Amino acid sequence: MNIGDRIVAWSKDEEIKKEGASGGLVTSLLTASLKGELADEVIALQKISEFEGVPIRTSNVDEVLKCSGSLHAAPINLTKFAVRFFEEHPDGALALPAKPCDARGIVEQAKRKKINLEKTYLIGLNCGGTMPPITTMEMLEKMYEINPDDVIEEEIEKGKLIFKTKNEKKAISIDELEEAGYGRRENCRYCETNIPVMTDVACGNWGAGKNETFVEIFTEKGIKLMNNAIELGLIETAPATEKGIKIREKTNSVMEKVAKKWHEKIFVPIEDRLERFHYYMDVMEDCIDCEACKYVCPVCACDESKCIDFYDPIDSYKISIYHLVRLLHLSDSCIGCGQCTDVCPAEIPLTILHRRIADRIQAKYNYVPGMDMKIPPSFEVE
Amino acid sequence: MEEEWTPKITLFCCNWCSYAGSDDAGVGRKQQPPSTRTIRVMCSGRTDPGFVLTALMEGSDAVLFTGCHIGDCHYISGNYKAKKRFEMLKEILDEIGLEDERLQLQWISASEGSEFAEYIRKVTEEIKAIGPSPLRQEWMK
Ligand SMILES: Cc1cc2nc3c(=O)[nH]c(=O)nc-3n(C[C@H](O)[C@H](O)[C@H](O)COP(=O)(O)OP(=O)(O)OC[C@H]3O[C@@H](n4cnc5c(N)ncnc54)[C@H](O)[C@@H]3O)c2cc1C
Ligand code: SF4
Ligand code: SF4
Ligand code: SF4
Ligand code: FES
Repeated sequence: MNIGDRIVAWSKDEEIKKEGASGGLVTSLLTASLKGELADEVIALQKISEFEGVPIRTSNVDEVLKCSGSLHAAPINLTKFAVRFFEEHPDGALALPAKPCDARGIVEQAKRKKINLEKTYLIGLNCGGTMPPITTMEMLEKMYEINPDDVIEEEIEKGKLIFKTKNEKKAISIDELEEAGYGRRENCRYCETNIPVMTDVACGNWGAGKNETFVEIFTEKGIKLMNNAIELGLIETAPATEKGIKIREKTNSVMEKVAKKWHEKIFVPIEDRLERFHYYMDVMEDCIDCEACKYVCPVCACDESKCIDFYDPIDSYKISIYHLVRLLHLSDSCIGCGQCTDVCPAEIPLTILHRRIADRIQAKYNYVPGMDMKIPPSFEVE
Repeated sequence: MEEEWTPKITLFCCNWCSYAGSDDAGVGRKQQPPSTRTIRVMCSGRTDPGFVLTALMEGSDAVLFTGCHIGDCHYISGNYKAKKRFEMLKEILDEIGLEDERLQLQWISASEGSEFAEYIRKVTEEIKAIGPSPLRQEWMK
């Protein structure tokens, strides 16, 4: 196996293969990394329902087995869980599945010495987007006329979102859902990173047959991950077909174009200076200073938060210094993961605000956060 | 008759160059308007963006970063850091709708007293032309 190889693979265990999203490869790589002692612990998302997943950190193989399948309506980010692991085990090794936004958060934290990337096995998951759980349940009732509790399976096929219950199967095109205000989270619509090239291996169903995963190998660690699982007899592989490779490339470029369109649609510049001023002042007004947005942000890396250094909840300024410092601080590192908007109890569209600024700074310094370890954070001065 | 409005300008000076430059302006009795509130920092690299933001929130109509000329910083790279922060802050303040003139950067050496006074006169006029900062609250004098 070599860097750059594109293969298909699946779990040899029938049960894992059946339970997995596309052949159970990721689950098998995770369990193999524990069994083969590549990693001390694994992070995975345990399914509570189709609309809820809880991240767990474990060294127990049975726990990992309970986490197979893709949860499209559990928009969690795993970065901070990886940071916690390295706080507790500075010399430990970790394996985890990572959507592009998980992986980009992890790379930014690694640059800030919070994660040891040499000892992190990143099993990349291609990602076309996640959906907000509550709105998705509402969508099921209104658009699908299905009781969310009855859903037993959810999948995405040919641009359609399909829900299955015991007795029926309904498909509606994602475009139609998004027109109606449902579908993917707003930030996922304009997220242009679908294949996580910053991971060790990228896994996905694009270009793969039924019950198999398409894998692209990016690093030596990726080769080690795969070989370890093969040696333990847990997975089987085959070369990817030319057709599969083409389908994957084509779908990826279509998705990128769609994302760019969404970006244009959402980020309409506010040309007038005064209008801009009032927009920011008004939109921040509802903040109740709960600091949840800071807590969840995968790229926040201060030990003692700079954003609260200059700020006091009793300040009566026109706009909170907490937010201004955050806008500045995250302007180089914001990856647009949407976590801040998701958690805000005051429903402030934080991700848009952060991205409006980050787009400017990241273009100015030609810095795309989370893509590789080569470029230091742009805030840094040699 | 209504008194003419004088802007409040927060001026960050580094101990070694621009503060000495402002001193030079005083010793040389160079005329300058009473618009500045000077805060001395050891090096322009100490000008934390939090200081700048606090100054703006507390009613400054403009904030000036000043320090030694590039290459002359007594701590070697402090002014490069100041420059980077200044550039990034500038993007943010522009994005939230503040005028360009409200954040400025000027390198001033210890012997540039006249240049210093000239600069303060120029900035004061610029800020007078655009008026009080929109971030200023009504209750701020
Ligand atoms: C939100 C999401 C969107 C995806 N979109 C695409 C796509 O557009 N194109 C494509 O080719 N592939 C996509 N995938 C990847 C694909 O669905 C499969 O995960 C992949 O093919 C691996 O299948 P598997 O059977 O080997 O995984 P499994 O063995 O089923 O293991 C899946 C692993 O993913 C973890 N996981 C599940 N949900 C999440 C989540 N929300 N966040 C982080 N980790 C999670 C689980 O903990 C588990 O460890 C997506 C995956 C997710 C989670
Ligand atoms: S931000 Fe991008 S990578 Fe993250 S869940 Fe959304 S689409 Fe996937
Ligand atoms: S600021 Fe918001 S969108 Fe940006 S990385 Fe942090 S949580 Fe994600
Ligand atoms: S999550 Fe919302 S309410 Fe809480 S501090 Fe952030 S912006 Fe304010
Ligand atoms: S000492 Fe003057 S800028 Fe550093």
